[in-house]
Amino acid sequence: MTVPAFSVHELTVRHFGGKGWTTAVDGVTFEVAPGEALVLLGESGSGKTTVARSILGLPARGARTTGRIDLSGTGLLTLGERELSRVRGRRIGYVPQDPTASLDPLRRIGAQLAEVLRRHGMVDGRRVARAAVPGLLESVGIPDPERVARSFPHELSGGLRQRAAIALAVCCEPELLIADEPTTALDALVRSHVLDLFGRLRAERGVSLLLITHDLGVALRTGGRVAVMRAGRIIETGPVAQVLANPDHPFTSQLVGTQLGARR
Amino acid sequence: MTPTMTAATPAPIRRYSRRVRHWIRRDAGLAVTLTLAVLLVLLALAAPLVAPYGPTTGLLQDRLLAPGSPGHLLGTDGQGRDVLSRLIWAARPSLTGGLVPVAVAGALGSVLGIAAGLGGRFTEQALLRSLDVLYAFPGILLAMAVATLLDTGLGAVVLSLSVVLTPSVARVVFTEVQRIRTAAYLEAARVSGAGRVGIALRQVVPVIAPVVLVYCSSLIGLSIVYAAGLSFLGLGVSPPTAEWGAMLDELRPSLLSHPAVAVLPALAILAVSVVFNTLGEALRRRSGTGGGLRTGAVR
Amino acid sequence: MRRFLLRRLLLAVPTLFGVTVVVFATVALVPGDPVGAFLGPGAPPSARRELTRRLGLDRPLPVRYASWLWHAVHGDLGTSISAQRPVLRLLLPAFGQTLLLAGSAFLLVLAGGVLLGGLGAIRPRGPVGRVSGALSTLFVSAPQYSVSLLLIAVFAVHWQLLPAGGTHDAFGDGGPADLPRHLVLPAVAAALVPLGLTARVFRAALGDLVEGELADSLRARGLSRTAVLRHCLHNASPALLTIGGLQLAYLLEGVVFVETLFSWPGVGQLLYNALSARDLPVIEGGVLVAAVGFVGVNIAVDTAHAFIDPRVRSRP
Repeated sequence: MTVPAFSVHELTVRHFGGKGWTTAVDGVTFEVAPGEALVLLGESGSGKTTVARSILGLPARGARTTGRIDLSGTGLLTLGERELSRVRGRRIGYVPQDPTASLDPLRRIGAQLAEVLRRHGMVDGRRVARAAVPGLLESVGIPDPERVARSFPHELSGGLRQRAAIALAVCCEPELLIADEPTTALDALVRSHVLDLFGRLRAERGVSLLLITHDLGVALRTGGRVAVMRAGRIIETGPVAQVLANPDHPFTSQLVGTQLGARR
Repeated sequence: MTPTMTAATPAPIRRYSRRVRHWIRRDAGLAVTLTLAVLLVLLALAAPLVAPYGPTTGLLQDRLLAPGSPGHLLGTDGQGRDVLSRLIWAARPSLTGGLVPVAVAGALGSVLGIAAGLGGRFTEQALLRSLDVLYAFPGILLAMAVATLLDTGLGAVVLSLSVVLTPSVARVVFTEVQRIRTAAYLEAARVSGAGRVGIALRQVVPVIAPVVLVYCSSLIGLSIVYAAGLSFLGLGVSPPTAEWGAMLDELRPSLLSHPAVAVLPALAILAVSVVFNTLGEALRRRSGTGGGLRTGAVR
Repeated sequence: MRRFLLRRLLLAVPTLFGVTVVVFATVALVPGDPVGAFLGPGAPPSARRELTRRLGLDRPLPVRYASWLWHAVHGDLGTSISAQRPVLRLLLPAFGQTLLLAGSAFLLVLAGGVLLGGLGAIRPRGPVGRVSGALSTLFVSAPQYSVSLLLIAVFAVHWQLLPAGGTHDAFGDGGPADLPRHLVLPAVAAALVPLGLTARVFRAALGDLVEGELADSLRARGLSRTAVLRHCLHNASPALLTIGGLQLAYLLEGVVFVETLFSWPGVGQLLYNALSARDLPVIEGGVLVAAVGFVGVNIAVDTAHAFIDPRVRSRP
C-alpha cells in the first residue's frame, strides 16, 4: 500500500467570536495521492478556504485547530512556526485567489522569485538565482520570460500575474499544490490555460493538487476526485464527473442545479 | 442600573435609556470626550456665573501669587488677576477661534468641493489649482499673512483660520464627490433633466455630510491650537482680553521666575486640545471613514 | 523616472507663480501709509511725491509685481526697515539655523514615528498597542508653544538640566556638547505633533499590511517572519514618505513658536520680530522663501515616493 502523499484527518477549526464558539471546519477528512487532484467544492462560507489556511498553518486569529494533517509522514499541526516556514513554499505551494494582492507591488517579479529560491536553498547565491528565473517562468507557460522577470506586477496583465503567482508556488518543486479559487479573476481563455498547466504539473512532476473552487466547470476540467463541502463538513466525495452527474446528497444536487441552470 | 426606573416608567423611556446605556458602554471614549467637550462649551458660555472673579479685576500688589494661595486656586498673573477666572473667561474667545473657523471652512469647503466635483472640467481644474496654491503655504504662515492683512482681533483670527482650513475640507469633499459622481443615480438624475444644483442638493449632500462632519470634528482641536497660537504671536485678541494664547504670551516673561503659574495656560490648551482631538478620533473610528487621515490631508 | 521628475517640476511652476502673487498681494494690500511712516507727519507734499516716485509706489500694481518678482529672482528682496540691511542677508543665516532645528526635529519625527507606530502595528491589541495609541493622540494634541513652555519649566527652570534658550552658552566655551544640549528641548518641542501624526499613519499602514493578503502570501511562500516584516515595512514606506513630507512642512511652520520661545535665531524668530515691528520687506521675503521652500520639499517628497513605488511613476 502506498502512503498517500497528503492526508487530513478529523480536522476541526473553531473560533471564538461575538456569539461564542463557531465551528468553521468540522471533522474534515480526506487524502490525496501523488499526482492526484482533489477538488474542494462548495459555496463561500463552506469552510474550504479555512481548510487550506489550516494546512498552511495560517489560521485566523483566535482559532483552535484539532486533528491531524500529514504530508508524506510529516505531521503539520505539530510543527513550530520556524519548521512550518520551511515546509511552506518548499513542500507545499500556495496559489491564492487574487494574484494582485499576493505579489509585492514594489519589487520586480524576477526578484521575488529569486528570493524564494534562495530562501529554500534551491540555488547557490544571487547570480544563480537570477539566472534560474526565466526558465522557471517559461515552465509555467509565461511568454517572453525575460521581460516579465524585469517587470513590476502592475505592468502585467491579470493572466500573467496569476501565472507568476503559480511560478512562485511551484518554483521549489513542492509535493502538494494548494490553489484557492485560482481562476475566478481570469477570463475564459486564460482560465483554460491555467487549468491545463495544473494538469501538466501533476503529470510531469507528480505534484498533488488540492483545488478549491465553487465553480462546477473548473471542477470538471480539473478531473480527479471531488469533496463537496457545506457548513464546514464534507457531505459527499467521489470522482468528479460521477458525483456531479449523479449526486447522492440533496445539497450537491441543489448546487449542480443552480449552476447548470444559471449557465443556461 | 437606574434605580429610579420602575415598572411604571413608560416603555419608550425605558427603551431609550437602555439604548443610551448600551451606546455608552460600547464606546466609552466617545461618550466621555463628547461630554467633556459639551462641558467646555457650557463653561465658556456660563463664564460670568462660574468664574470667581472678573477677567480684569486684580491688584498689582497681588501679582504672581503661586497656585494654592488663599482666594486664588491657580495663582495670579503679572497684573494680579486671578488665573483660574481668566482661564475660564478665556474659554470664550479661544473656543470661538476653534469652532467658528471649522464651521465656516466646513460650509465653504463643501460648496467648493461640490462645485469642483460636479462643475465640469474647467471649474474643477480652476478650483483645484487655486486650492493648490493655498496648500503651498504652511498653515501658520498663511494664517499670519491673512491676520496681518486684516489687523488684529478675534475676527481676523477667525477669518484667517477659515482661509487656512477651507482647502483641506474642499479636498476631502472633492474626493468624495469624485468617488460617487459616476454613480448610477447621479447619471439617471442628469439624464432626466434635473438641474445641477438640484442634483447636488438632493443626492450629493446627504452622502458627503457625514464625511464632512467627521473630518471637521477632527479639525476643531487643530483650530483651537492655531487660534491660541495666533493670539500668542500678537495677531489675535489684544490685551486685556483673556485668551489662552494671549495669556501664554503675557505670562512668558515670568516663566523663569514663576514657572508654576506661567505654564497654566499651556496646560489648558493642551488639555482642551486632547479632548477635542480624541473626540474627533472617536467619531472617525465610529463612522468607519478614513477621514482623510491616510492621505495626510489633516494639516 | 526622469520623465516623472520633469513632469513634476513643470506642474510646480504655476503653483510657484500663484505663491508669489499671493505673497505680493498680501503685502501690497496691507493698509497703512509707508511713505508717511517713513517721512513723518509734517512732510511737505513735494517730499511725499518724491519718495513715492522713488519707492515706485506710483506705478500700477502689475508693474510693481513684475518688478518685485524680477528683483526677488535675482536675490534682491528689499531692505529691512528695522535692521537697515538687505533682507536676503538676514534670511540666509536664519534659514540655516531653522534648517538645523527643523532637520533635527524631522529625524526625531521619523525615528519616533516608525518606532511608536511600528510597535502599535505589530502588537495592536496588547498593552503595547494601547500605550502607543494613547501616546500618539497625546502627542498630536501637544501644540509646540505649550510643550516648549512645559519643557522649559521642567527641564530648565525646575531641574536645571538643560538650557532654556539660545544656540550656545553665553559665557565661555560649552564644549562639543554645547550645540546638542541647546538643540534637545526645541527639537523635541517641535517634533511632538508631527511624531504623533506620523506614528498614527504609519501604524495604520503597517497594520493593514501585516494583517493583509500580501503578508499571508509571503508567509505561504515560506519566508521567515523577519523577511515578511521587512517587506511589509518596505511597502509601508510610501505612506511614511507622504506623511513625513507633510510633517516636514508642518515643522517649517511650527518653528515660529519654538524659535521665539527658545530664542533660536531662525526664520521663525525673524518673522515674529518682523511682525511686531511691521517690517514689511522682511515679512514678505520670509514668507516667500518659506513657501518656495515648502514647494521644493513637496517636490522632493514626491520624487522619493516615485522612486520607492513604481506604480506612482506611470500615473499621470
